[in-house]
Amino acid sequence: KANQSPLYMTQDRTEMSEDDDDQSPPSDLRSEPPCSSSSSAVDSTPNKSRNCISSSGTMTASQPFPDHVLENVLENVLQFLDSRCDRNSASLVCKSWWKVEALTRSEVFIGNCYALSPARLTQRFKRVRSLVLKGKPRFADFNLMPPDWGANFAPWVSTMAKAYPWLEKVDLKRMFVTDDDLALLAESFPGFKELILVCCEGFGTSGIALVANKCRKLKVLDLIESEVTDDEIDWISCFPEDVTSLESLAFDCVEAPINFKALEGLVGRSPFLRKLRLNRFVSLEELHRLLLGAPQLTCLGTGSFSHDNGAHQSEPEPDYAAAFRACKSVVCLSGFRELMPEYLPAIFPVCANLTSLNFSYANISPDMFKPIIHNCHKLQVFWVCILLDLCLHDSEGPVSELGLQAISEGCRNLESILYFCQRMTNAAVIAMSENCPELTVFRLCIMGRHRPDHVTGKPMDEGFGAIVKNCKKLTRLAVSGLLTDQAFRYMGEYGKLIRTLSVAFAGDSDMALRHVLEGCPRLQKLEIRDSPFGDVALRCGMHRYYNMRFVWMSACSLSKSCCKDVARAMQNLVVEVIGSDDDDDNRDYVETLYMYRSLDGPRKDAPKFVTIL
Amino acid sequence: MEGCPRNRETCPKLLDLIPQGRKWYHEEKKNSDQEKKLELRLGPPGVDEDDRSAMNTETRNNIKQQQNIKKESEDKSIFSLNGNHFSPSNKTTHVPHISHKRTAPGPVVGWPPVRSFRKNLASTSSSKLGNESSHGAQINKSGDGEKQVELKREGMFVKINMDSVPIGRKVDLSAYNSYEQLSFAVDNLFRGLLAAQRDTSGGEGEEKPIIGLLDGKGEFTLTYEDNEGDKMLVGDVPWQMFVSSVKRLRVIKSSEISSALRFGCSKQEKMRN
Repeated sequence: KANQSPLYMTQDRTEMSEDDDDQSPPSDLRSEPPCSSSSSAVDSTPNKSRNCISSSGTMTASQPFPDHVLENVLENVLQFLDSRCDRNSASLVCKSWWKVEALTRSEVFIGNCYALSPARLTQRFKRVRSLVLKGKPRFADFNLMPPDWGANFAPWVSTMAKAYPWLEKVDLKRMFVTDDDLALLAESFPGFKELILVCCEGFGTSGIALVANKCRKLKVLDLIESEVTDDEIDWISCFPEDVTSLESLAFDCVEAPINFKALEGLVGRSPFLRKLRLNRFVSLEELHRLLLGAPQLTCLGTGSFSHDNGAHQSEPEPDYAAAFRACKSVVCLSGFRELMPEYLPAIFPVCANLTSLNFSYANISPDMFKPIIHNCHKLQVFWVCILLDLCLHDSEGPVSELGLQAISEGCRNLESILYFCQRMTNAAVIAMSENCPELTVFRLCIMGRHRPDHVTGKPMDEGFGAIVKNCKKLTRLAVSGLLTDQAFRYMGEYGKLIRTLSVAFAGDSDMALRHVLEGCPRLQKLEIRDSPFGDVALRCGMHRYYNMRFVWMSACSLSKSCCKDVARAMQNLVVEVIGSDDDDDNRDYVETLYMYRSLDGPRKDAPKFVTIL
Repeated sequence: MEGCPRNRETCPKLLDLIPQGRKWYHEEKKNSDQEKKLELRLGPPGVDEDDRSAMNTETRNNIKQQQNIKKESEDKSIFSLNGNHFSPSNKTTHVPHISHKRTAPGPVVGWPPVRSFRKNLASTSSSKLGNESSHGAQINKSGDGEKQVELKREGMFVKINMDSVPIGRKVDLSAYNSYEQLSFAVDNLFRGLLAAQRDTSGGEGEEKPIIGLLDGKGEFTLTYEDNEGDKMLVGDVPWQMFVSSVKRLRVIKSSEISSALRFGCSKQEKMRN
């Protein structure tokens, strides 16, 4: 990892694990600094004036007050503070520290775009260069919410266009972004360097073309799992013709053919390019050419990983393995969109260095990835989706669980796994919990709902129980299969670091949710669907909801009256009940509950199908 | 198939009827058995099998409810009542679990939790390799897959269920050329059964034709589940496209078309464009 700067490492994590690096308590974005009377204590400077009234926005005094001297010093010191957690703590020391911290915070993270208004952001933080903003809750990805729910980028970009002309980076997740928004962005920020759009929608290749063309200092253009409409624009050709500053270009989600010649030219004149994620319209032969020209890559999305139709007969086959061998720096591999399995061995030369491997777009079975995994000793992140367990109805031997077993044995350093399969056993999950103590993210999706251990017939309680018990660093958990309240009892007892929990079709009673709400003090994001949790459980969490980013519960057993009670009791909580337009308003049943804390009250852009209680 | 490994002694055949996502065609070879099972099945599910007495303690309502939910969707573990992990005295069976849910059956959307974006890609890639596999089938990586493909070519039987009718049927889509013909066939299949059902629940019992399946105007609407697991309204796509992607059919009460199914339609619109 010596050739990796911290920037790249962080970005990899963000992409692969879909989780933020935030280890901090909730960001406190109150616009009023803490009252001076409560901010005594941390004072090591005897000369420091306790007169907080003197703190104002400007420093116009002819004589430098001790306050101002201190603030100058603080400013010089605090600008080195990077961690969000530390900054939040520093801002609570006293009004002076609050002010200076606000002046020196250059990167702002907003985990829920509706937790505050854009105006509040620009009022408090004056010198922001980088914004990370997240919108819709994750379950919106699975059609559990109507489109046009909200999370529009427009008000943010228009506010920031005026307030932050020196903005350099925008990182959005699950936001609705239009081409107009992108145009405004490209126009308003001359120093703009990084655009990252994860799971976003609402824009097309025309918006991207504008960014490519106008942001002359662009270093990062990452389009990840976003829906990009094909406006039939050759956006790759819109990059400036001279040498670029590009370090990362990801367009694997763009469902439109690209001009390969232009791409090759772009890669050729981008000497700083380290990350390249191609879409499925780039063939294996084209990938080969790119690799030969860019062996310095650290992160590669391989595109289709299959032949051009009909293009390959005449020439001898390129030596793909040699091309991969030449890429000595590759640590992160993804793509394989139309995987031709016979070419998979070409990646063997890079396996030993891989820290991240994403097969989730590949039609791949454990038999195919096992030999690869065997060589990936350094692997930290692994994503795979076994859509078809073709052998299972025929053979005695299991498939999915052996795959998991192989991973746990080959990749002892594994930190994050996303594993889709049809069936699983407790034994395999327990083995993983014992072999991979470094796990921070464990997401197992047994696609058959309520499916027990297919060997013993028992619920999957013990498997997930072992995970929360043995993986002491676990911060994110997604469960599936047949689960009783016992599984949740384990979570509440052992899952002390869990911040994100996804539950679907699980549990027997309110007690399950209660265990979690009462036992997991770090829980920030809770998403539940189709589970038998009701009002009693909801009320058990009232002491927690202000400390959480959001709670999602759909197709559970909640009543509107209970949700109203919660909304009434917690004034800073926005309680959204999401239904359909013609829902009977008198119906007490709540189809979907989405609630989150907010400093600025209920949003004004809620569509008709959202009722804010 | 999941839930029914060969090494188990009791392997309730009813479980074989449950479509497991894309794979339920495997059960074509048990066709006649299935037909028999369907014909005979008027009682609660699993009652002929090596069942647990958990079922015996249920009220008629609960049983009906289970039947409704059973028809509704695949993979509910209620079928696992026939499995080994429930003991007779075990009060925490999954039956109370399901009774916590609202009784009105609606389509289950968004499962598995794969972004529709990815699923579009999966279907694109499988169509690209269409030469090697049959229409709409997933990529066949092993010899086993070919078996699946062959079975599909022998008539296009898809299972069809109807709300409030405990008996499921099967239709051979290759026998029809249009949605109208299919709609007619559905009426033929279920008119009598529906009347019988209404008779027992105190209704009129006379046979009324089942109409308006395709336009939303009738009491019932025809829906289907495609090869990506999405619930769709029948009639939106060209007939051949429908036939190549349909995995099972379901006749639901028009009033029960939940908003969730509507959200799924936005994907349909996208695909059309």
